[in-house]
Formats: sequence, structure tokens, C-alpha cells
Amino acid sequence: MTREVLAIAVIAFPAAASVLLALLPPAVVTRVALAWALPSGGLALALAARALTDPSHPFTSKWIAVDAAGGLVVGVTGLVGLTSVLFSPAYLATVRHEHRERHYFSVLYAFWSVVLAVPLVGNLGGAWLLIEATTAASALLVGFSGRPRALEAGWKYLILTSVGLGVALLGIVLLAAGIPGGGLGALTWHALGTYGSGRQTAIVAYLLLLAGLAAKIGWAPVHNWLPDAHSEAPAPVSALLSAALLPAVLLVAWRCEHSLAPVVGIHTAQGVLIAFGLASLAVAVPFLWRPLAWKRLLAYSSLEHMGVIAIGIGFGTPLALAGVAVHVIGHAIAKALGFYAATPLLRHEPRAAGHAVTGISHTRPELGATLGISLGFLAGLPPSPLFLSELLIVAGGFQSGRPWAAGASTLLLALGFLGLMHALLETTVGKARRRDGGPVPGLRSLSALTAGSTVLLLVLTGIGIWLPGSDLVKALVTGIV
Amino acid sequence: MSGLLAWVLVGLGVPVLVVRRPSIAVGLVTAQALVLAGYALHEATAGKDALAAVALGARALGLGALFLVVAARTREPRPVRPGMPPLVRAGAAVAFALVLTWLVPTIGLSSRNAERAVLALVAFGIAAAATSRATLFQVIGIVLIENGIAIAALTLPGASSLIEIGIALDLTLIVFVAAFFHERIFAEFGAGDTAALRSLRD
Repeated sequence: MTREVLAIAVIAFPAAASVLLALLPPAVVTRVALAWALPSGGLALALAARALTDPSHPFTSKWIAVDAAGGLVVGVTGLVGLTSVLFSPAYLATVRHEHRERHYFSVLYAFWSVVLAVPLVGNLGGAWLLIEATTAASALLVGFSGRPRALEAGWKYLILTSVGLGVALLGIVLLAAGIPGGGLGALTWHALGTYGSGRQTAIVAYLLLLAGLAAKIGWAPVHNWLPDAHSEAPAPVSALLSAALLPAVLLVAWRCEHSLAPVVGIHTAQGVLIAFGLASLAVAVPFLWRPLAWKRLLAYSSLEHMGVIAIGIGFGTPLALAGVAVHVIGHAIAKALGFYAATPLLRHEPRAAGHAVTGISHTRPELGATLGISLGFLAGLPPSPLFLSELLIVAGGFQSGRPWAAGASTLLLALGFLGLMHALLETTVGKARRRDGGPVPGLRSLSALTAGSTVLLLVLTGIGIWLPGSDLVKALVTGIV
Repeated sequence: MSGLLAWVLVGLGVPVLVVRRPSIAVGLVTAQALVLAGYALHEATAGKDALAAVALGARALGLGALFLVVAARTREPRPVRPGMPPLVRAGAAVAFALVLTWLVPTIGLSSRNAERAVLALVAFGIAAAATSRATLFQVIGIVLIENGIAIAALTLPGASSLIEIGIALDLTLIVFVAAFFHERIFAEFGAGDTAALRSLRD
């Protein structure tokens, strides 16, 4: 199977499931949804493996692009989408409304399909359409529970990201006006570098584009929807939002930076990303020090990690991009694990929906272990791959001749690390409240996932040490053009 | 694009910031999109251009009908008060549009009038979404932004009808989802007022 056909199958398979699940009788929906997840995730992982094992030969056409960076994001989206579907029945058991499985799985598959398509699209206009489509599908999922707080979160998400994407579309139109051949359909990643209406206009278009995408990625200062949506969405959806959607949109920003650098100037193109990254870190760190509800803590951690990835892309050296590759995968696995743990956590301690929880290991050791492992990896506690990736990114910053940005990143990362370590200790071995000692459904599968994720993350640390200097990193430096 | 047409399009956008009844605002943005669709049809030189114009017109009528149905189903006892007095909002939006026109250099569209109209409508849309308390008006702000960008897309050389149709479909999808949320918010809080949506804070 060619990469093009495989890419189409990766998108079409979950899309077909979305339609099918909307038509099936409710009694069989969950079984079909669970069964369909394996081939859907498997196809995405197969395409990722093809792209990552042969990174020197990307496939590009007007509408489809399969390269190393896209392979990374498709891989994590396939993996997190698969586990999100498998962990959804545990969430749905806590929801009471009619036809909940049918609505939920149909929209979840539609969302998964569109997120998978974003890193595979070969055209900026097409990428914008897909990102806008992710907003529609994911907003419905954020508000799925129908609780007032979920409606508030869904509404904020819908309006803020739609306005942001409107601004990004204005940037895209400005670019289209200056590209030979004209029209929004001509904006392939390769064609962006041929922009010919002057550097000043190109910079304005680039700023509008990135400011608009920032609203969707959740970069500060346009991140207001992120903690609300991630904390109020169903836990498996929060995992997909944080681990897959944000990196997928970030990849579009990366492709724009790479393609437009010859036009706007590489220093300007990278500087904008570094500025967004540092701003996101600076905004996230104070919140990581505060006692927050579990999912809100994870959401602010997403803000921090999207900032780290932006900084790594902005530095743009082989070391920094090796760090970015490790960071995207490591963050996805550790963050998804943290969100999946939220469903049993809320069963065990309902106050966790709105308050920081403490001492979970005293009352549910296996749940406490999962929370601790997730936070430890996310904080960058060695041997976390995120420790290695952050080290590579900072080293890449010094290598790129930006010592101030690298130094500021180091300071903010250290502060973020301390904040998350404090949260880890409080959550796991802090003072415990009296809790119901009844059974918590889903803990056994969560423990199995924790073990699997831990192994994967440790393997990733090993791969990360070998990664700088590899063909994969060379391909990331070259980009899709 | 002629100066008169650009002024008509911008002129239909300003009152959206002032009126308090959603049905009037819906009429204004629908009329604006229909004028645009008529212009697109007039300028069409190939079948695909005509198709894009028809898609724009269908989007305008479809969204207009949807907004009116939603407004009728969720009739407010009295219009939701905006966050600031209407004339102040309009003044702020016009000032924002002037700043944007001053900041953004020549875009490269077929006329400078079209460029100014694009930037003005984007500014009005952002102002409407940012300063309205009524949920329906926030969505109308997004439609206003997209109407502005539609002007740019129509005056681009060699526009792609596939992408333009896609944009129209995407916007329709977003408005459908927003209408769903508006109805749920209305049912939950008794009004489509974002002032009630203030429980999520750190």
C-alpha cells in the first residue's frame, strides 16, 4: 500500500465509523466502537512507522503530505485515540442520558478522524478547514455531560477558537494574494515559500496566522479556553484534546514557520514561536504551584508543554528538534495516562472535580501510583523522557545562539518542575481525607495501562538519547519543503 | 470591487454593533452575505466561480433561517444588555477598524476598497464577539468576520472554489454547534447571556 493510500485509509476508517455508529442500534454501539478502534489506531501507527522509518523521502502532493513530523503526530494521535476509545465505557458509565453511547462515540470518531487528517494535509487552506472542523466536533464533546460548567467551557472554547481561526484565515488570505497561481487552494507547504508580495505584508500575514493558531493551540496569552475545556470535557476527550489536537495544530504552525522562513526571515519566523513559548511557560508556571483540581492541573501542564515544544521548534537546531520529537511523544503518553486516571479518581473522590486532592496513595495505592507516575513523567523527573527532551531543547537554544531565551526557558522549566513535584507529593502522599472505601471500577485496566505507559516512556528515554544525529532529526530540520 | 459596494458592505456591518434585537442583526449579516453572493455571481467567469457564489448565497440563507428559528425558540423576555453602551461599542469597533487598516499594509487584493472593507468587517466581528453578552450576538460576530474574509477570498486572483465552499460549510457547522449550545445555555440559565457563564475561574 502506498503512503498516499494509507494516509487516506487512516482518515477514512474512523470517519466511516462515525457515520456507522450514528446509524447503529444503541445496543451494539459500544461493542462496534471498541472493535473499530483497533484497526483505526493500527492504521495510524502503521503510517507513522512508515513515515518515521524512512524519514528522508517524504510524500507530498497538493492535498496530502506524509513526512517525519506528520508521522510523529499521526502516531501519537492513533495511539491516544485508540486508548481514549477503550477507556470511554468507564466514563460513559458515569453519565446518564438517553442514547449517550451513540452520540458520544459517533462524535468522538468524527473528531479522531479530523485530528488524524490535520498532520496529513498538504495544503494550508485544507489545514484551516480541518482545524475549524475539529472545533465543531470537540466543542460538542466538551459540553457532552450537559452540566452548566461543561456548557460554559464548551461555549468559551467554541467562540474563542472560532474568532482565533477567523484571524488565522485572514492571514491565509493575505498569503494567498501573494502566491503565484493565486487562490486558497494553491497554498501547498512548498508554495508558501514562493510568496512574492513583499516581506512586510508576509510578516503581517505570518503574525495573523500564528496569533490565530495560537488561540487553538492554547498558547498564552490566548489560552483562556484551555483549562476550562480540558477540565470539563469527558476524561478520554481531554486526553485527545491535550495529547493529539494541540500538537496537530502546533504542527501546522511549525510547517508555516518552516515554509515562510525564507520570506519573513528565519530570525523573525523562529522568534515569534519562541515568544509564544516563553509567554506560555511564564503564564503556566504560577498555576502549577497552586492547589488545583486534578484535570485543571493537567490543563495548565499542557499550556507549559505546548510552550516547551514551541520554544524547541523556534530554536530549530538538530538538538532542539530531537527534543521536540521526544517531547511530543512523551507528553502525549504521560498526559493521556493522567486524564484516564481522572475517571476512577472522581469515583473515589468526587471533590476532585473542583478541588485539589491529597493523599490518594493512602486510600487507593494503585490509583495514587498512576497519578504519581503521570505527574512525575510530566514534571520531567529523571528518567522521564521529558527531562531528556527539555535538556535537548535548552542545549539546542544555546547551540542556536539564543542564550537569553535558553536561560529563561531553563529558569521557567525549573520552577514548573518544582511546582509539579509539590503537586505530586501532595496528591499522592499528602494528608488524606476520609474516603469511601468501596470498589472503584476501571482501576485494574488503568493499572495495566500505567505499566504499559511506564515501559513505553522509559523506552522513549533510551531512544531519545540516540535520536540526535539520526536521519529522523535531519528530516525534521529539512522539513517538508 | 467598487467603493460604493465596499461602503454598502461595511455599512451593513456597523449597525450589528448597535442593535439589541438578534433578528435585526441576523437580517443585516444575511443581507451582507447575499450582496456578496450577488457580486460573486456577477464576477464569475467560470462554472466553479458560479458554484462558489451559489455556495455563499446558500450559506447566507441557511444561516439566516437557522438564526431566526433559534431566536424564535429561545425568545428572551427582554434583550440581553450588551457589556457596554451601543454607541461606545460602535465607536470602539470603528476605532479598531481604523487602527487595523493603518497597521496592515497593502494586502494585494484587486482593489484597496476591498482591502479596507475586509479589515473593517473583521474588526467589527471581533468587537461584536468580544463585547457582547448575548450568546447569539457573539456567534453573529463570527459570521461578520467570515463575511469580511469572504470579500477577500472573492477578490483573490484564481480563487479555489473547493476551499471557498469548504469555508462556507465549516462556518455553517460552527453556527449549528453554536446554536445547539445557545439552546442548552438558554434552557439551563433561562437566558442566552454569557454573564451567567462565570463559574470557571482560577
